[in-house]
Amino acid sequence: MASHGVPRVAETAPRTEAQRLEEERQIREYRDLEDLIATKIAERQYTIEVLELTSKLLKKNPEYYTIWNVRRRLLIYGLFSKPSGLSSHSTASPNTSTTDTTKASSGISSSSTTTSSEASTTSPQNPASPNHGKNGTTLDLIKAELEFLFPIMMKYPKCYWLWNYRIWLLQEANERLEPEIARQLWNRELILVGKMLVKDSRNFHGWGYRRKVVSEVESQKLGGHSIVESEFEYTTKMIHGDKGLSNFSAWHRRSKLIPRLLDERKASDEARRQFLDDEFELIISAMYTDSYPYQQSAWFYYQFLMTTLTDYVGHGTIIPHFTLEDRAEYVSRQLVILRDMLDGAEDCKWIYNALIEYTMALCRMEERVPESDEKQECETWLAELRKLDPDRSGRWDDLERALRNP
Amino acid sequence: MSLVSGPGRAGGNALPEELQLAIEPHVKYIQSLDTRKDELEYWLTEHLRLNGLYWGLNALHLLNRPDALHRKETIDFVLSCQADNGGFGAAPGHDAHLLYTASAVQILAMVDGFGELEKRGKAGGAMAVGKYIAALQNRKTGTFAGDEWGEEDTRFICCAFVGLSLLKLLQFVDVEKAVDYIISCANFDGGYGVAPGAESHSGQIFACCAALTIARRLDTVEKDKLGMWLSERQVEGGGLNGRPEKLEDVCYSWWVSSSLSMIGRLHWIDGGKLSRFILNCQDTEHGGLADRPGDMVDVFHTNFGLAGLALLEFDGLEEVDAAYCMPKKVIERVLGPGYYNDS
Repeated sequence: MASHGVPRVAETAPRTEAQRLEEERQIREYRDLEDLIATKIAERQYTIEVLELTSKLLKKNPEYYTIWNVRRRLLIYGLFSKPSGLSSHSTASPNTSTTDTTKASSGISSSSTTTSSEASTTSPQNPASPNHGKNGTTLDLIKAELEFLFPIMMKYPKCYWLWNYRIWLLQEANERLEPEIARQLWNRELILVGKMLVKDSRNFHGWGYRRKVVSEVESQKLGGHSIVESEFEYTTKMIHGDKGLSNFSAWHRRSKLIPRLLDERKASDEARRQFLDDEFELIISAMYTDSYPYQQSAWFYYQFLMTTLTDYVGHGTIIPHFTLEDRAEYVSRQLVILRDMLDGAEDCKWIYNALIEYTMALCRMEERVPESDEKQECETWLAELRKLDPDRSGRWDDLERALRNP
Repeated sequence: MSLVSGPGRAGGNALPEELQLAIEPHVKYIQSLDTRKDELEYWLTEHLRLNGLYWGLNALHLLNRPDALHRKETIDFVLSCQADNGGFGAAPGHDAHLLYTASAVQILAMVDGFGELEKRGKAGGAMAVGKYIAALQNRKTGTFAGDEWGEEDTRFICCAFVGLSLLKLLQFVDVEKAVDYIISCANFDGGYGVAPGAESHSGQIFACCAALTIARRLDTVEKDKLGMWLSERQVEGGGLNGRPEKLEDVCYSWWVSSSLSMIGRLHWIDGGKLSRFILNCQDTEHGGLADRPGDMVDVFHTNFGLAGLALLEFDGLEEVDAAYCMPKKVIERVLGPGYYNDS
């Protein structure tokens, strides 16, 4: 596996004979388990017993995507949607599986690693989770699967296959369960992904998952409704949390929610103007705290807000009815604020970069060439950029050319 | 090909002032990878084997040692990974997926093995592979799923275009629709995410830029904005990170630099500093590169570190194609000697 951030401890001594034998035993055990699953699948044994064999293997190796696929097939060809009451080993092929059954709920609820076939064939039905025909068995199975996944995801939060499998299970719930029940499952996911993002607030799998979960919770198919307000609040909470101001994931999510938020609020032009003012206030006061003028996340969000003014076409989503004069006035006001910000932060390249970029943008908006004092100032700021940030001198060369030929 | 990390450790000891590329140790390291079957991790990483073979082989090509792995064994292994549906899995018996199918085509291209695919591959040869890939396109939105289970990700558009274009079967899919989908993933910062609405991420940016390069549609990229965002991935120590305020990692030496190169802005970062960072991630004794100095080496970071150096035209390395992450020589052989003049 590609190892990220795994420190290598001092060169280890060669394995002892005992260690070598132990590793050999572990390899044999692992490969025997793989072979056993392959054999059972070849015999089309789509049973709880085999499902539990895959659990055992996936706990050892959650990256083993083919085994997650085996698990999917076990569910859809063998275990989902069985009529209750019957009890026999399923040896069904995909075409005949609906006539077979196993007592899914009793076998899997322990989610133990038992490999005994008795567990799935002869144990009495668990009275706590009776089969309810369509919703019963399938719901219990899906819930048990979600529970099985959770600790593995906490341990391997960056494993793509785990997130995929989880989404797939919930999509199966959409297909196989009543919309109300499926929606309850998705609602629980919102809590789960919240926990994952507390653990790592930048995990992009987590943020992506959150996006999908929200769209399902909101979907009409499941009788949902918009939760854009609470999602927006969630980003506010994340931004104000620990190291939140440098959490670009939260800022990004916020930028994506705003247009919908304002539309759904049916915000008036005045409310939109106020909203934009408040967002500028939020980001600028953030930059004045601690070391944040030096942190790029805040600057990228600032770029987002400025883009709504400067790159109006396709981006003017916050204030769609601003006139050119309104927009130019806002940009000019920001240029004043940026100059003030330099006071005490003369070594902050981001401010110089913003000053040049938005001075140029203002000229473009007003369809004029920079006036000589503007040009001179831009050149002074550029000289600061070159001093403060020599690593990107190639970029400053290109910027200098652009300044000369606006 | 094993993906087992180690045994080497990057930059363990004080390095000489003039950093050297440890060519021979890297070649030996890659050659040794398939001899480690007595380690549990060899078996635990089987799900990456075909990717691993591509990473190792590409690294060897860039090191000017294309014959360091046995050609016939390489082809035999690739073909043994092909599933009945025409796609390739990570290893024999593993399910087909676009991630491995792209690697399979890349490997076959590097060893000039398309003839063997026709002769010994599943019925239909290249056509079967092309059909497998084409069937994964979402005809409504233009994007691609990774496999039959439907996960969609802009990485898979890249995999599909790489595989199909090398097989000269790009006409099997709706390129225009895929391009529109990529455009819908663009963010205000010029970058791209996994899907529309997702945060910009250097890995996805590489995938989208590579797909747009192959489709000859880089005109759709906001190059100054993206270039600015990408150039800010370089951190104080010279390495590159994948997103704002994250740690640097050798693999981004590839994802970020190649994207900058594709949009004509590789000079927006300090190449000398980046080269030194990459060289510091080597284990000069046992071979291989790690994500950061002092960490365990592995073949993934070995390939992308070397590819990053090759992009920076480091002395002694083959020229690398920024979209395919393969030697330019190979791309010219497969796509024709005029490929770099036309683009």
